[in-house]
Order: sequence, then structure tokens, then C-alpha cells
Amino acid sequence: MEAAKHGGINVAKAIGDSYGKLLQNASYRYFALVLGAPVNLFTLLVHRNQKAGDIHTSVLQEARQELAASGLQERLESEFIDQLHSKARFFGQQASEAELENEARKLAAERFELIAAERADSRLQEKGLARSTFIGTFQALLQHPLFLPLSFIPGFPLYLLILLYSSPYLKYIFERLVMTIFVIFGVSVLVFTILYISPFDPAVNILGQTATDAQIMEFNRVYGLDQSYLVQLWHNIKGIAMFDLGKAFAGNEEIVSAIGRKFPVTLELTLFSLLMAVVIAIPIGIVSAARPNSWFDYTFMLIALIGLSIPSFWQGLIFILGFSIKLQWLPATFNPGNWLTFIMPVVVLGTGLTAAIARMTRASTLEVIHEDYIITATAKGLSRRKVLLKHAVRNALIPIVTVIGLQFGGMLGGAAVTEKVFNISGLGSYIVDKQFIPDIPAIMGGVVYTAITISLINAIIDILYAFVDPRIRSKMKQY
Amino acid sequence: MVNANAERRELQLKLKTSQEYRQAGFAWAGSLIITVALLLASYDWETQTVKPYVALASLVYAVFTILQVLVTLLIRRDLRIYGEIRSITRALGYVLLLSLVTGNVFLGTAAFQLIQKRKSPEYTLAVYTLLTQLGVIAVSAINLYKPYVADTFLTGMFILLAVAGFHLLTVIVTAVFVRRRQVPKGLLWVAYPLLLTSLTGNLFALVLGIILIVRIRNSGNPAVAGWEDVLERLTRNTTAMLGLLFIAFLFSVSVCSYVTFDYGMAVDNNYSLILQPPSLAYPLGTDNFGRCLFTRIIFGARISLIVGVMSTVLPLFLGGTLGAISGYYGRYTDNIIMRALDVLYAIPGILLAIAIIAAFGANTVNLILALSVGAIPTYARTMRANVLQVSTFEYVDAARAFGSSNRAIIFKHIVPNSLAPMIVKATLTIGGAVISTSSLSFLGLGIEPHIPEWGNILKLGSTYLETNSYLAIFPGLAIIALVLSFNFFGDGLRDALDPKMD
Repeated sequence: MEAAKHGGINVAKAIGDSYGKLLQNASYRYFALVLGAPVNLFTLLVHRNQKAGDIHTSVLQEARQELAASGLQERLESEFIDQLHSKARFFGQQASEAELENEARKLAAERFELIAAERADSRLQEKGLARSTFIGTFQALLQHPLFLPLSFIPGFPLYLLILLYSSPYLKYIFERLVMTIFVIFGVSVLVFTILYISPFDPAVNILGQTATDAQIMEFNRVYGLDQSYLVQLWHNIKGIAMFDLGKAFAGNEEIVSAIGRKFPVTLELTLFSLLMAVVIAIPIGIVSAARPNSWFDYTFMLIALIGLSIPSFWQGLIFILGFSIKLQWLPATFNPGNWLTFIMPVVVLGTGLTAAIARMTRASTLEVIHEDYIITATAKGLSRRKVLLKHAVRNALIPIVTVIGLQFGGMLGGAAVTEKVFNISGLGSYIVDKQFIPDIPAIMGGVVYTAITISLINAIIDILYAFVDPRIRSKMKQY
Repeated sequence: MVNANAERRELQLKLKTSQEYRQAGFAWAGSLIITVALLLASYDWETQTVKPYVALASLVYAVFTILQVLVTLLIRRDLRIYGEIRSITRALGYVLLLSLVTGNVFLGTAAFQLIQKRKSPEYTLAVYTLLTQLGVIAVSAINLYKPYVADTFLTGMFILLAVAGFHLLTVIVTAVFVRRRQVPKGLLWVAYPLLLTSLTGNLFALVLGIILIVRIRNSGNPAVAGWEDVLERLTRNTTAMLGLLFIAFLFSVSVCSYVTFDYGMAVDNNYSLILQPPSLAYPLGTDNFGRCLFTRIIFGARISLIVGVMSTVLPLFLGGTLGAISGYYGRYTDNIIMRALDVLYAIPGILLAIAIIAAFGANTVNLILALSVGAIPTYARTMRANVLQVSTFEYVDAARAFGSSNRAIIFKHIVPNSLAPMIVKATLTIGGAVISTSSLSFLGLGIEPHIPEWGNILKLGSTYLETNSYLAIFPGLAIIALVLSFNFFGDGLRDALDPKMD
């Protein structure tokens, strides 16, 4: 019983402390004040009540009078005028006397208030009293056994926010997720706006030049194109969030279900390419960095640079020409049931990424390899292999993983070209096909859902870092 | 034991610091790759026959490659025994110069380096000026085999030849008169005409002319400007210079093609010559409308260069400005700009371009804009990081203490000092822009289909993959060569601007 009570007080104290820190953070303050409005209002009332009889105001008044009597105001003013004069002389500026005096008076008044407040504070401290503040009231209220249970329901969002703020991890994850949601929202608005301000009239595009006015009106009504920008935008954002974007202009199919059918194909292709790239590129990059300027290094970095320079559609065509038409080893077009057809698209899509990762691995390992702790590791007698793998690569991995995360997005976009070459019915080729119509909602759905996937993946990578990398962890705790 | 080790180390150091030896090694390796490629191409796997012309070319390349290997060994021996390269070995460079006739730039550039003992950046630039001009003349001369040529062809060729003669003179003059960072006044008579010859699109001539004039103006001033070190490091980097050579060559050809090439060959249908295999008159064959593929690729270079450069320059300025503002002002400005750009960053470039093109239609201007918009965030991020770093330097504080305005601080102190990484990034991304351009054209979303652009040519060629595969192979090789050149140049530029990586 005693321990539980003790624990309760500790929790209350922790909440009070966190809230105090939170209120000092400019961007969190507003959310906290709004989210916990009922609790805050109550606290404010209590605080006002106490403040009426607060000793701080009277002490401050006293200090101010004392200082004014001692002629501090005039002394400060003349000091500031002197300073301003010499400043103007130094820069060769011409300033009128009245202007200088005005400025000096302003500066003096500011300084005076500061000194007065300091004096009042020290007086209070001498007497062993603290200034009553909003947060102080809140902390005092928390000590009351009934306050927390009673305020828990109305103040739930506030307490949740305080909980998030109290732990650096939770705070970091929360902020990263808020960021992601903001980005997703922004992407939806941006893509919709681009397609909305298009000079083309979708109705004429779909129905043809011969369509009558009545047909066009009907088309616009069915797809909601006759409504205002904001209404359409709202419908679209709602549709994206609820996975219901309605029907495409052409083909009478549900957009989201079409995307849901095609997206896994693209994702599978991209993931296999990523796997291939990582497996091939990282060892090559490490060996290249271990022996810089050797033949191995030159050869593989040249190949990597060529890999970076090959347009994927051309590579695809050459592969089809070589392996399908001339050698007849692999089938030219993609077929979901046959894994042999998967090889060429994966290699083509993964080439650019492999090259990028290999170059990045080499550069970042080379950078790390000259650090002092590598010399220490070598000096204490570790084998070269162990130094490389345990000390150099582990520390070089962060930028590499970042590059992988960023390139993954590029790959999801670049998959469109590869899919077209190998005739794969993935999301990329879906968007390309739809753009010829142009089928606005389908394009928008495809682009936005791809962007959402990328944002989520990058957010997850960032959050994982926070747990893996002690440097980021310690930086987080400094908040 | 210790002695032997030290000797070996010394030799290795000598070899490593000898520019001629390094370049000779690079030259025979590059030449060998071409030889092997030609050898493979000379054998037709399906009909099991040898193509005589390609085989002959391969043989010639092989001979020169062997020569180069021998010269490399000689250089090594000279360095080991005499500590420097003897003049007899250097004279062998004149023999290797003959390889230029076969179009082997690897050996040609190495030979030029070998001949000249006291190298200056000016000499290297003069050599590359000459090589660019020779390349343009060689490519234009192929038109001689055509049934008809452009009206201005002969005049154009004579001008080009005269310019090449002048460039040869420039090489000799710079080799004889230019010493380390000292250019005699009389060379002004070379510098101004050089600037005039850069009207043929020869970028090297332009750069060399400017550098000569600047050097002459600054003669007597012992201070060494930062760009001089960068220039020296850059001209010593063979791969970067070769990349730049190809870019300058392509640019010059694009300019000269107005005079020496007939646009009709690239766009007019000629149904009597459909799908011809490569021949002397049509070096890369003809397509399904009887148009000369070679001429089409030459004219396509113009579009690829313009779109590639424009869609890099636009986001460079826009993103650079946004990044500089956001990095300098910080706080709310920074937050607002960078969060807005985060949104843009989340959409893959190609998909954003597709969406923009879907909304505004496929044409060249829209393509440039579409590619530019997607690239803004990366430039802004790079610039912001640089500005954040540069803002902490003392000279910025000093400028602020002296009462400079924010605008003056940003544009006079911060931006010039944070440009280097931006330039490197821009060079490296032009290649990506070229690839994106041709990818979108290939999908049918880029340049209008009637314009001979590399992606368009490839799209047409891809339908004849089985029967006339050269229609798809050659434009692809052109794209790779251009992108590779930009990447080589960008890498070289990065090494030259940031020597700590070496």
C-alpha cells in the first residue's frame, strides 16, 4: 500500500516534470494547450486564484521603485547614448541626436526591467519562496490524489502527448510518423493539383471530339468534375485514405483494386532487385576499399560506372536480343508462373542500384578506414579481415543504408520502364498506359500510393537507425 | 633485405608519380578493351563467318596496343635505371601518334603526353582542342560517301580544316613557349583567334583561350588562384579529360552539323533504302523509313545535350537558391522550405515527370520542366548543407560585423564558397537527366516522335530487334557514351575540387 502510494507520487512527479519540459518546446506547446484544454483551463483558474495573493507581484513592484529611486534609469540611458555614439563614429554613420536618444531610451528600459526582475527573484529566494507559475500550479495539483484520476478522461490526449515527450524514443518515432503523414498529405495535394490544372478536358479526351454538350455534362457529373477544386481535393484525399478512389475513366474498373492487383508484382520485382544489388555490391565495395587503386578496384569501379550509365530500357533490349533471341536461354516476356522469366527484369532493374551501392560502399568505407579507431584496432593486433568487417564496415553502413532507402524509391519509379520493356503488368506500366488516355484518377492513385510506400519505407529505415546506431541514440537523448 | 624493400618502394613511388607511366598503363588497358570488343564483334555467331573489315580494324588496334605495351615497359625500365624517361623513349610517342588515324584516343592522348617533357595544363588543353577538331572533321568527312551532301558542306569542311591547322599550331606554340604558369605576352595573338574558333563549338578552345588571356593579364602576380590548382589536377586526370573530350566533341558536332550535315537525311523518308545494313554511305545503316541512322544520331545529340543540360541547370538554380535561403535564415524559413521540398522528394522523379506530362502534354519544354521539378529537392538539400557549414566560418562573421546586408553576405561570401559540391553534383546528374530523357521518349512520353532524339530512335529500333538489331544497339551506345563521359568528368571534377579523397 505504501509502495503503491509512493509509486503514484513518483508518476505524478514524472508527469509534472515532463509537462514542464514540454511547455518550453515552442512547437509542442500549442498542441499541448489545445489537446489538454479542459485540464489546462482548470489549472489556469487555480493558478489565477493563487496569483491574486501572490507575493511575487508586490516584490517586483518594490524592487522597481527602489531602482528608480537610485537613478538607475538615467545612468543606463547615458551609458547607452555613449555606446551608440561611438558605434556611429566607427561605422561613419550619420544619425540624428533624437534618433540615438530614442534608441538609447528603449535599450535602457529593457535593461531596467531585466535588472528589476532579477532583483525581485533573488529577494524571493532569500525569503525561501518560489514564484507561482502555471506549471508549478499544475505540479502541485498533480500531488493531489484525486486530480489525476479525475482529469484522466478529459485530459487523455494531453497525457498521451506527455508520455510521448517523456521518452526520447517515443518522441522520435512520433515525430517521424507525423512527418510521414504530412508528406503523404502533401503528395496527395500536389499530385491532385498538378492533374487538376491540366489544360486538357478529360471529358473531351475520353468521349472524343464529337461528344455533345449533354454527354460532357453527364460525364463531368458522374466523375464529380463539375465540383469546385476544394471539394474535389477533399474527395480525393478521403479516397486515398479510405482506399476508395472510385472507377477509372476508361475500362470501368475500380482503381484501388487494379492497383492492389498490380502493385505486388512491382514490389516483388523491386525487392528481388534490391536483394541482388545488396548481395553483389557490398562485398565488391568493401574489397575495392580495402585495396584502393588496385586492378580489382579499377576494374569493378569501371564496371560500376558503366552500370550507372546504361539506360535500363536499352539494357533490357540487349538482354532480350542476346539471351532470348540469339541464345534462346530465357523467355523474352514476363510470365508470373515461370521464375525463369523473372531473371532478366530483376537484373536490369537492379543494375543501376548495384552500381550505386558499390560506389557508395567503397567511398564510405574508404572514409572510415583512415579514422583513429581503425589504427587502434590494427595496433591491438586484430587481423585485417576482422578490422575491416567489425570496425570499418559496421561504421560505414549508415550512409549505405540511407542510399539504399533513397534508391529504393527511384527503383519503384524506374520499374515503369523495365516493366514496359519486358511487358510486365505492374504498377509502373499501369501508370504509363493510363497516362496515354489520360486517365487522371488512375494516374493519381498510382503515383500517390507509390509515394506513400516510399515514405513509409524511409520512415521505417530512419526509425530502425535510431535503435541500431548508438550515435543517433545519444543525440536523441540530448533533447 | 631492408635495402631491397626500400628500393622497391622507391621504384613504386617513381612509377606512381610519373604521369606518363600512369597514362601509358591506362592507354594500353583502354586500347585492349576496344581491341577485344572489336574482335568479338568481328565474328558473326549465327552464320559462323568473320566480318573482314571489323577483323582488320581489330588487328590494327591489336598492333598499336602491343606497341603501347612495349613503350610502357620501356618507360618503366627508363624510370628504374635512369630515374627519368629518356628522349629516345619520348620520341617513340611520335610513332604512337599514328594511332590517331585509327581513332584510338587512348593511345593518342598518351602519346601527346609522352612527347612533351614539361607539361602545362595549357599544353594538355591545346592537345584536346586539336583532338576535338580532328574528331569533328573525321565524322563530318563520312558524308563524302553519301549520294549528296549539304550545300554548305565544302565551305564548312574547309573552315574546319583551317581551324584544325590553327589548333595544331596552338599545340606547338604552347608546347614551346608556355612554362609553368608563365605565358609570354605574344600568345595573345593565339588566344584571341582561339576564342574565335570556339564558334565551331569547341569548348576546349574556349577554355584555353580564356585561360591564356587570364594568365597573360595576371603575369607578374605571384599569387596562385585556387582554380589553377584545380585546373592542374583536372588536366592530369585522364579519364575526366577523355569524358570531357567526348562531351566537347558531341557539342562541337551538334554545332557543326548545321553546316556539314543534311537534316533531310535524318527526317525525309526514302522508301528505296529501307532497312539497309551498315555501309560506307550509311555507316550505321538505315531505318524503316530509309533514313540514315548515323545522321539521325548526330542530330539527336543536340536534343540530348540541350535537354540534359537544361534540366540540370534549372533545378540547380532553383534548388540552389531555396537551399541557400533555407540554410542561411534557418528556423521557420528553413522548416517551411525543407518540409515543402520533402513532399516533392517523396515522389520518384520518373513518376512525377509522367504525372506532369500527363497533365500538360508531351513536348520538349514540358519534358525539361517535368524533369527539373523532380530534381529541385536534392539540389536544395546539398546547397543547404553547404551553406550551413560555410555560415559558421569566420569571414561570414566578419562580414556581418562590418554591417553587410544579408543579401550581400549570401551572394558574395556564402554562395561562392559552397558552389563546388553543387557543380560536382550537377555534372554527375546531367548523365541521369540524359537517361531519363531517353527513357521517357522510349515510353512515348518525351520528345515529339518526329524529332530524331536518341530515345525516339531507340524506340523505333526496338521493333526491329530481331531482324535489324543495329537500329537499337547504336543509339543505345551513344547514350551510354554520353552518360559515361559526364560521369567520368564529374568524378574527375570531384577529385580535383576535393583533393583529400586522394
